[in-house]
Amino acid sequence: MASQLVWLIFLLPFLSFAVISLVVRPFLNGSARLSGYIAIAAIGGSLALSLLVLQEVIRAPGHELLIPRVTWVVIGTTELDLGLLVDSLTAVMLVVVSGVSLLVQIYSQGYMHGDAGYSRYFAFMSLFTGSMLGLVMADNLLQLFVFWEGVGLCSYLLIGFWFHRPSAANAAKKAFIVTRAGDFGLLVAILALYASSQAGTLNIKELHLLAETGALGGTFLTWAAIGIFAGAAGKSAQFPLHTWLPDAMEGPTPVSSLIHAATMVAAGVFLVARMFPLFEHSSQALATVAVIGAFTAIFAATMGLVAPDIKRVIAYSTISQLGYMMLGLGMGSVAAGIFHLFNHAFFKCLLFLGAGSVNHATGTFDMRQMGGLRRRMPWTFFTFVIASLSLAGIWPLSGFWSKDEILAVAFQGNFILFLLALATVFMTAFYSFRVIFLTFAGSYRGGASAGAGHGSQGDGHGAPSLHESPAVMVVPMVALSVMAIISGWFNLGGEFSGFLGEKAHPLGFFGALANPLALLSLGVAVAGIVAAYGVYGARWVSAEGLGRAFAPLYNVFIHKYWLDELYETVFVRWFLYTFIFGLMELFDTYIVDGLVNGAASLALGGGRALRRLQTGQLQAYGMAIFLGVLALGLIMVLIR
Amino acid sequence: MNLFYLSPELSLVGVAIVVILLDLVVPNKTILAGVSLAGLSLPLAFSVALWGTNATTFNGMLTVDQFAILFKLLIVAIAALIILASVDYAGRFLAHHGEYYALILLAASGMMLMAATTEFITIYIALELSTLSLCALVCYRRDRPSSEAALKYLLLAVLSSAVLLYGMALIYGFTGTTSLVEIARNIGRNAIVLMGMVLLVAGFGFKIAAVPFQMWVPDVYEGAPTPITAYLSVASKAAGFAVVFRVFFTAFGSLDLAFDWALVFAILAAATMTLGNVAALTQTNIKRMLGYSSIANAGYLMVGLAAASALGRSSVVFFLAGYTLANLGAFIAIIAITNHIQSDRIDDFAGMSRRTPVLAAALAFCLISLIGLPPTVGFIAKVYIFSSAVAVGLTWLVLLAVVNSVISAYYYLRVVKVMYLSEPAEGPFPSSGALKVALAVSSLGVLVVGLLPYPLMRVAEVAAAGLLP
Repeated sequence: MASQLVWLIFLLPFLSFAVISLVVRPFLNGSARLSGYIAIAAIGGSLALSLLVLQEVIRAPGHELLIPRVTWVVIGTTELDLGLLVDSLTAVMLVVVSGVSLLVQIYSQGYMHGDAGYSRYFAFMSLFTGSMLGLVMADNLLQLFVFWEGVGLCSYLLIGFWFHRPSAANAAKKAFIVTRAGDFGLLVAILALYASSQAGTLNIKELHLLAETGALGGTFLTWAAIGIFAGAAGKSAQFPLHTWLPDAMEGPTPVSSLIHAATMVAAGVFLVARMFPLFEHSSQALATVAVIGAFTAIFAATMGLVAPDIKRVIAYSTISQLGYMMLGLGMGSVAAGIFHLFNHAFFKCLLFLGAGSVNHATGTFDMRQMGGLRRRMPWTFFTFVIASLSLAGIWPLSGFWSKDEILAVAFQGNFILFLLALATVFMTAFYSFRVIFLTFAGSYRGGASAGAGHGSQGDGHGAPSLHESPAVMVVPMVALSVMAIISGWFNLGGEFSGFLGEKAHPLGFFGALANPLALLSLGVAVAGIVAAYGVYGARWVSAEGLGRAFAPLYNVFIHKYWLDELYETVFVRWFLYTFIFGLMELFDTYIVDGLVNGAASLALGGGRALRRLQTGQLQAYGMAIFLGVLALGLIMVLIR
Repeated sequence: MNLFYLSPELSLVGVAIVVILLDLVVPNKTILAGVSLAGLSLPLAFSVALWGTNATTFNGMLTVDQFAILFKLLIVAIAALIILASVDYAGRFLAHHGEYYALILLAASGMMLMAATTEFITIYIALELSTLSLCALVCYRRDRPSSEAALKYLLLAVLSSAVLLYGMALIYGFTGTTSLVEIARNIGRNAIVLMGMVLLVAGFGFKIAAVPFQMWVPDVYEGAPTPITAYLSVASKAAGFAVVFRVFFTAFGSLDLAFDWALVFAILAAATMTLGNVAALTQTNIKRMLGYSSIANAGYLMVGLAAASALGRSSVVFFLAGYTLANLGAFIAIIAITNHIQSDRIDDFAGMSRRTPVLAAALAFCLISLIGLPPTVGFIAKVYIFSSAVAVGLTWLVLLAVVNSVISAYYYLRVVKVMYLSEPAEGPFPSSGALKVALAVSSLGVLVVGLLPYPLMRVAEVAAAGLLP
């Protein structure tokens, strides 16, 4: 394959964005469906190229393709290049991002059908996917940062897609601002790396080499790595920057599915994996990643236990699973973390598409208004169960394999973190099946009121007729459920790990059932499912009773540890509004305004004065030339 | 004597004569524009064929090197866009089309020659060829403002030519030659040479609109037919800078002299950009505003000149190309709009975003490039030119230039604000095909070069490297 074609992988979606927003929207808005086709064709092309790249990377020596770099600007001795780093990590990410995005966009044709912003939606989706593809291919941190911000921008645009709804506009703002806190860390780290005498480059491979040879090390490396991790934590919704993700549900459901599976949150995990040699050579940085990851995993799971909104439960599960990935990375295994990202992409995307399908029928996301959908929506039910089993980590579905690897590396690394991860396995299984029992089992609790449908919670899909979704939505779900079953098998013999350059300890398809650690996690997961059945299926214990019995805990969970309130009150209101903004206001009123008004009136006054000089009299103009010559002559005399 | 070296200019003069003759027999005058456009492919082809040549001919009067050829290509491109932009305008507001297009071509040949001449007398003749053609074009509307503008332009051009010739005479008196290369060999640093240099700066200052030799600019820009205003603002300035480069780097390139003129240009740059920007703030006529904007841009260009280095030279060449794209784009959009609304007042651009969304968006985009914001070519060009000045320690000048860029945002964005936030007075209107082509070329250029600047940078480097030292 010609190496120029590799550039097309991320340029195609950008092209689609340009065509939709410059041609289709202004001139052909009558045929909005065309934008869907353009976007899907573009991402389909990207997927095909990504698969070719994957094949080439597998064959290439050292699993890396060398793509000629392109000079972007040269000013004096400062040279900035554009380049692509295509290695095994990139190849895996390319396939996941373009594959999931393709399915989500096909599904979106059904979900967004008839929406006034149909073209705008597909334009943004293309931009989103293109930015993410560009991000995973960047070979230097500056280029990566540009696409990183592109991803952030698109998440803002898409979460706030229905911007006329205040909750959506607020959620979009929150996502943008909270991740910005992490981006600040990343930017500082990038600038520090560029400015420092230790590094002085932003080329990712050169940075790897510098870290490996020890030229880049010590406290500086630790802080640089932690700065990078701050950026990753913001994008990947790690504690304490996780608060934006549950609110991001305000966007259209396919957007959530893309954000959670392939684009936005995966960027953080990818960044840590991409810069892994820097973390590897700083034990403190690595420990930070591991501890934050393990803590986030269990912390988010507890909130998922009680949330009443189906999308929020899945959102908390994403945060929790991202914590797993970070734990895997923090324990020193890129392959374990990325393998879980790979598997997670498929089943998490599927869960969201399933939730969207349920919403398409019921017009709500509140599980208290659902129930009994199993018979009405067999395909949705069937695929949703597969995704949930995979998420819970049931043999032999994909989630089992990658989760088991993370548990294994944690077990070897740190026993406390391992116990946290194991407890999370129980909770994950419990809340996944709580969703299943509440949504699909029992009888329908929505009644006629669901017919209103256009409530604040719904996506504006209000048909109460409780039918299965159209084929354009079901087919992508079925395709994803196949992947949710088999994607874990790619590492049965350690192939996936080997591809990423790590030695794995393969258990084998049935061998896993003889491994004590794997059996333990499987047992815990099954216990979680049984417990969920006991409470929400068979109702041996009533959920309300449990809530009352553990009232203090329940309150903490349902109120999300009051972190939103904490941020809002202490940080935003007290610290920012009262303290910082108060000071700023004083500074602004008395110093900045004074300067600006002074400068502006000076400039405008100067403008008026100069207008008077421009008399229109030719004599005056001639005199100006004469005086100019005199003045220049004087200057010459004076400097002599 | 090798006529091939002169072929771009000769062929252009030939095309101009053909256009005048055709005018006598062709009833449909649009054909003349087509012939002029097609004819421009001749100098284009000859220039491309000459790329890579490095020769001096006609006893040292003419030099063909990459610097000259790049400017020739730039001027051919500008002339082509101006002709495209004129088709509509000329058809509605002007008479004598044959001479109109022929004069555009003759002015272009003069300006192409300006970039290639390396001898004082030839420089003067090339300068006059372009100035007189432009002067005739300025009065082409034949109404009061247009005639007044032309008269002012003519008289001040004569005055500054006199100043220029006086400077040339002084230098000739000291060195005994008019050839730039020979001057460099014979020159020393004394009062006569310095005074000669001052007079040359003043004479060329008229052409590039440097303060205080810029007084003609607002009046002439306002009075001239709008396509000619656009022509003056880019081609005339580019050719002027080409000559300045030739004279000052080739003839006065020695280190002690370079120190003198670099300082003069630094001071002129500071005065020019500040005056241009501040005066533009209060303008209500868009052509006058762009007149002051072109003065301000001459100031930025002189920042690169004041750097007096290879980096400065290539940055000026790049800036000129970028400024040409953005300024021409803006003018073409303005021509398309004013053709319809019959007014140059900024207030009359109210609501253009709804009346003619594509034109308004293109105009806004080109104005953003003139401010110097990414992702446009204006951003890269400013970074380039400012870093060349920082590299030689002219930090004070760059700081002033940055402050000036901020001031300029006010008047450029005011146009955008009026177009996008004010209520439209009337309904939508269409625009002509030729204008659309010209506008698409220039605003796409602004975007593409803004995103991928390196190829043009490389060309600018190669072209500027030819001039020693």
